Amino acid sequence: MIKKIIFFMGVFLFLMPGLSAAEVWKAPDQEKAKERAREVVPFVKEYKDDCLINRRTCLVDAGISIKDVTTVYFVLGSPVIKKREDHYEPVRFAHKRHAALTNDCSVCHHFRPKDENALETTRCSACHQDSFNPDYPERIGLKAAYHQQCMQCHQNQGKGPVDCKGCHLQNVPDHKELVKLPDGADPFQVTAECLRCHDTQADDMLTTAHWLWKGPSPYTTGHRKDIMHGKGTTALNNF
Amino acid sequence: MKLTRRTFFKFMGAAGSTVVGRASSANAWESKAPPDSYGCLVDLSRCVGCRKCEEACSTVNGLPAPERANCQCTIFEKKRRPDDTAYTVVNRYFTGKLDTFDKPLPTFAKVQCMHCQDAACVSACIVGALTKDETGAVHYDVSKCIGCRYCMVACPFEIPAYEYDDPITPRVMKCTFCYDRIKKEGGIPGCVTICPTEALTFGKRETVLKIAHDRLRENPGKYIQHVYGEKEVGGTSWMYISAVPFEKVNLPVLPETPSPKLSETIQHSLFSYLWSPIALFGVLGAVMFTSKKHTDHSNRKGGD
Repeated sequence: MIKKIIFFMGVFLFLMPGLSAAEVWKAPDQEKAKERAREVVPFVKEYKDDCLINRRTCLVDAGISIKDVTTVYFVLGSPVIKKREDHYEPVRFAHKRHAALTNDCSVCHHFRPKDENALETTRCSACHQDSFNPDYPERIGLKAAYHQQCMQCHQNQGKGPVDCKGCHLQNVPDHKELVKLPDGADPFQVTAECLRCHDTQADDMLTTAHWLWKGPSPYTTGHRKDIMHGKGTTALNNF
Repeated sequence: MKLTRRTFFKFMGAAGSTVVGRASSANAWESKAPPDSYGCLVDLSRCVGCRKCEEACSTVNGLPAPERANCQCTIFEKKRRPDDTAYTVVNRYFTGKLDTFDKPLPTFAKVQCMHCQDAACVSACIVGALTKDETGAVHYDVSKCIGCRYCMVACPFEIPAYEYDDPITPRVMKCTFCYDRIKKEGGIPGCVTICPTEALTFGKRETVLKIAHDRLRENPGKYIQHVYGEKEVGGTSWMYISAVPFEKVNLPVLPETPSPKLSETIQHSLFSYLWSPIALFGVLGAVMFTSKKHTDHSNRKGGD
């Protein structure tokens, strides 16, 4: 218990400056990506049914390569998905990085709209929107399109996460309502309040290297010759 | 008249011929499947075993949270069944299929009530607590249920569960097809809403069946050429397509005849127009009448 309390006190002290800061800095490209994710584009009804090999040739013929990737970073969220359920945070997708790794735009941009004026590489949500549209029964929804595309590729390549939390942050509920603390609560009360729900995490933490690390410490004054110095053996907090 | 062996066989022959006559005329068993019902297609090749359907199901139906909700590995070590705390569960099967790295490829299979078109449980229920709704859902009405659990015996998929731990108000527990949600316009069951890969496809049964056949046709070699539930036990609302044989993912091989057909034919032909009780009591009455006459006669004789 004492170990847990000290750990959470540490966490609390670490978070303190962040909480007290009046204005939180926001990454500009993150804000831009979020804004883009909020857009709903008109539904593309008809697409050009090229087979995959053709598609790749088409893209090469059109002179589209990785150099043309304008958007480096996406947030894969959409009001179309949010309308049905809101379970996880949207995935942060490094578009340019994936383009560079695959070096083949047709992996994801597998079809194009029939309209010749449309972009060659249109966005996923132009064709994949709401699930189970009776007019387009075999057109899968946006959420399914993302998951099938990402997971299948990750599986086939043997690279990249295939579990939920590998890509998503869990949708964290607003802790303002959950945390119940008196005014001017002392650190012990705060820790006890955290542990009220997060006791498993605290237990897990006690079995990790964050709590049990030990080893040689050649650069620590006074402990240069110790070979088993560390939190797991002699250092402070370990009582 | 004395009841001789001969007269007894006469009566029985007459009764027997009536039975045969009635039975042949009453063989017109008709399916009670609703015409424009909903259906759901499970594409086992798309399921990734995230178990979000279990979580959504428990939230929507107010059930306890699923066992180790975020676990996607050790939970699969034992095979689970839907029970009184979970309407649906996902199991993992290794069927000998290998992935691109020669590692065994798991197949995940979701289990829930199949909502049969002609459900055995509906037929077996003696108080009408289970009914086939026009949405396609096999609907359970707890206020009518007397707890006989015939439905549990009748179900070919062994789905209905019972709250044995509740001695006062036990209920039969099984998937509701999210009846309250789907009867509203545009409503979708909880599990289907959350499925990340659209392994579950919801829609009118006809549409869904067409999608299933389209998928089988457009991906040659990927699927087993069979839609499980299209014809099994006369058709079910939940249907499966798979890349591995269905019996390997614990979907039993079942006949195409609807389960209630035989039992209902026998029952209905026996009791139509109450002919069988009438015939029975007629035979008994005749036997009594003849034997009484005989007894009266012998009594009178004895009285002399």
